[in-house]
Amino acid sequence: MTNQQQLQHLYWRAGFGPRPQDIAANPNPRKALRQLLHDSAAVQPLAGPRIEAAEMQAMTPAPMPDLRQDPQAPALKKGELTPEQRKAQNRQIREAFYTMNTGWLERMASSPAQLREKLTFFWHGHFACRVRRPDAALQLNNTIRRLALGKFGDLLLAVSKEPAMLQFLNNQQNRKQHPNENFAREVMELFTIGRGHYSEQDVKEAARAFTGWSYDAQGQFVFRERQHDAGSKTFLGRTGNFGGEDVLRIILEQPQTAEFIATKLYRFFVNDTPNPAHIQPLAQAFFRSGYDISDLVERLFTADWFYDAANVGTRIKSPIELLAGIKRTLGVELQDQKPLIVFQKALGQTLFEPPNVAGWAGGRSWIDSSTLLFRLQLPAVLLKNAEISIALKEDENDLDPQQTRADRTFRQQVQAKAKLAPLGVLLAKTPEAQQPTVLSQFLLQAPIRPENLRLVAQVAQQAPADGRLRTMVTSLLSLPEYQLM
Amino acid sequence: MPTSRRDFLKTSVLASSLLFVPKFLHALDAQGVQQLRNSNGKRLVVVQLGGGNDGLNMVVPFRNDLYYKARPTLGLKEQSGLLTLDKDLAFNPHMTQLKGLYDQGLVGVLNSVGYPNPDRSHFRSMDIWQSGSASDQYVTTGWLGRYLDSNCPGCQMPYNGLEVDDTLSLAMKGELRKGLALKNPEKFHQVTQNRFIKQVSGEKAGGSGSELDYLYKTLAETASSADYLYQTSKVYKSAITYPNTDFGKNLKTTAELINSGIESRVFYVSLTGFDTHVRQQEQQGKLLGDLSGGLGAFVEDLQKSGQLNDTLILVFSEFGRRVTQNASNGTDHGTANNVLLLGGGLRQKGILNDAPDLLNLDQGDLKYQLDFRSVYATVLRDWLGADDRAILGSEFSRLPGLV
Repeated sequence: MTNQQQLQHLYWRAGFGPRPQDIAANPNPRKALRQLLHDSAAVQPLAGPRIEAAEMQAMTPAPMPDLRQDPQAPALKKGELTPEQRKAQNRQIREAFYTMNTGWLERMASSPAQLREKLTFFWHGHFACRVRRPDAALQLNNTIRRLALGKFGDLLLAVSKEPAMLQFLNNQQNRKQHPNENFAREVMELFTIGRGHYSEQDVKEAARAFTGWSYDAQGQFVFRERQHDAGSKTFLGRTGNFGGEDVLRIILEQPQTAEFIATKLYRFFVNDTPNPAHIQPLAQAFFRSGYDISDLVERLFTADWFYDAANVGTRIKSPIELLAGIKRTLGVELQDQKPLIVFQKALGQTLFEPPNVAGWAGGRSWIDSSTLLFRLQLPAVLLKNAEISIALKEDENDLDPQQTRADRTFRQQVQAKAKLAPLGVLLAKTPEAQQPTVLSQFLLQAPIRPENLRLVAQVAQQAPADGRLRTMVTSLLSLPEYQLM
Repeated sequence: MPTSRRDFLKTSVLASSLLFVPKFLHALDAQGVQQLRNSNGKRLVVVQLGGGNDGLNMVVPFRNDLYYKARPTLGLKEQSGLLTLDKDLAFNPHMTQLKGLYDQGLVGVLNSVGYPNPDRSHFRSMDIWQSGSASDQYVTTGWLGRYLDSNCPGCQMPYNGLEVDDTLSLAMKGELRKGLALKNPEKFHQVTQNRFIKQVSGEKAGGSGSELDYLYKTLAETASSADYLYQTSKVYKSAITYPNTDFGKNLKTTAELINSGIESRVFYVSLTGFDTHVRQQEQQGKLLGDLSGGLGAFVEDLQKSGQLNDTLILVFSEFGRRVTQNASNGTDHGTANNVLLLGGGLRQKGILNDAPDLLNLDQGDLKYQLDFRSVYATVLRDWLGADDRAILGSEFSRLPGLV
């Protein structure tokens, strides 16, 4: 594998794809990785829609009891609002999420902190959480971003104390007298050790330990001592007067937790099919390092098997990776950001809206007849202003289920600009006949089929000279090969 | 190749539908046709009411004082035109066509269908209904998708499970097989006729089982399905008048596909907008009118073509509403709800179980008396002849003698 192929592989996996200038510079992959780690050292929180959030709070009579008592309700009980207020509130909530969503996507495409954003995206799917409060969702997202490359224990504890997560998993209903096991169960099943490594009794005991973990109207974690069950518990074979922190600590003492997390990272960054021979040493090192995430990903990205042909160009891009990747590689800018939300929904992955606490299933589940056709049309929509029409489902508009079909239908040309000049630089010394080949080597991680290379060359030949590059790029991006990374 | 596949298909439109199968799928389909012969010929049409339809104002307990006490202004009075059924229940006044079908013995009404520990969030509860999971399970496939996975006779091609929409629901996604979503056969076909897509979709998948092969296989099947659906659906054009609504159009498309002889075992259609927190009567009445008018035309269409006896229609929503009305003359998210079954193959008709118990509530919400997965199990085993236990992951008691 050439240096360029290795570099591209690294940029796709540790970030959201290569830019032409990254490849033109042609560093060796180890140096590129050091740079990625360096560029990802600082933490820049995602800016929130403060104005919208403030307006929403202004509309809400203080205090806001619903956040504690009715997790599914918006800031106000729906029945207490006039229809107009309700509509206005829904619109503000929706706009706030749109701003956060497209703001993050833009950052994926342009931030130098590629590795941090990629890991934030990974943890966003791992600690999947979906709430109606944009401020709470943003706070959780920034907590994840801050700790994404730190110690997993710190991240786990911080996430477990986030109001959004406590709300989503009903821990505000977890009280001494009436324990609610949802939070304790998912922490173990999905966030840490995985099924089969704890008993139903462990779930019950852990739930008791988390009683009293709550938050106040200002969105701050609060420990409510009167709701906490201070009695003795037996959890994973240990007995003591445990609180929530103790439960998390005991979970981290199980090597199985390191294996569970290492496996999930491996499946995300390397290959959907886990290879135990690769994962075992990783998991052991992860455990020994005290769950140091940076150390783990560095080991992973420097392992010799990372560049094995079996791991290159063999993973189906998630919709976010596809969109962010096109934006990053080609510097695509949209005049209006809204279509980016439509594309996410149509393709089945919307930031801040995971399907449930288990996150997105990934892999082949991204691809069905309609999503595949949509993926193949998308490049022409973004690069050639091709028209596209699609009606979203109601459940993809959960924030405002009253929308009519007309409101849910997207039918317009997308006004988008792409920066193709850096690609032109990359091709400057390449004779025209060779350009489709060279371009395919940069844009595709899976080797192009010969018949497709002929097809691209043919389409390019028919294009006017000033549109040739754009035509070639659009064609290459419209191939099944481009769905892989 | 001088005559394209498309020309071939066009000229043979009036021939038997077997001839419409695109050439390169013939090998696959020879096997498929044999399996269709082995199948019982029954099909299922699922109608999803999105947003949480208020069952209590659809199937109204109009002789129950508790109903009117909980809904002083929202409760529907007998004199408003309620369409009386049995067991002191009545359809919403807007459901005239459905009442007509009920009187013909084509409708079964199930009350208080739900699941333990109900979730009142739209997306989560819909997730549960579509995946067929318990409320504390997270399943990434749908119950109908797993039916397609289960090696059911005639389930080899994506079009064997059809959703009339632009995007595919979780319900129709299996691990190995997924259904196909299309708004109408013509529009869907048109997309695959895009020069580039057409060319690439003609390429064969390799045999290695890689992700790339999976993409090429999906694409080829999509394109050949689009061809098949487009050509075959021309056979039958409906002469029935459907309501001029999106839902009406989708049902018309469904009927045309069925009556054209498309071998699909499962169809999926949605009607949305049931999240009636404010001024419910107006909004829900309109939607139930759409539902009733659409299904009325649909059933008539299938009746005329003789397909109704092999068709079972299942109407559900992700939850019902709270028993008590709210301050805006609407209702908030609730729990158990009605499921309607329609078709010529129903062996039991009318009100199939007890009316909702309004006295014995769970924090103001209806308690479920029937798990929705019992309904699924019945449909899967007794109607489609599938292994309900394998598809649903556990054994749910079926409703004896229903279909």
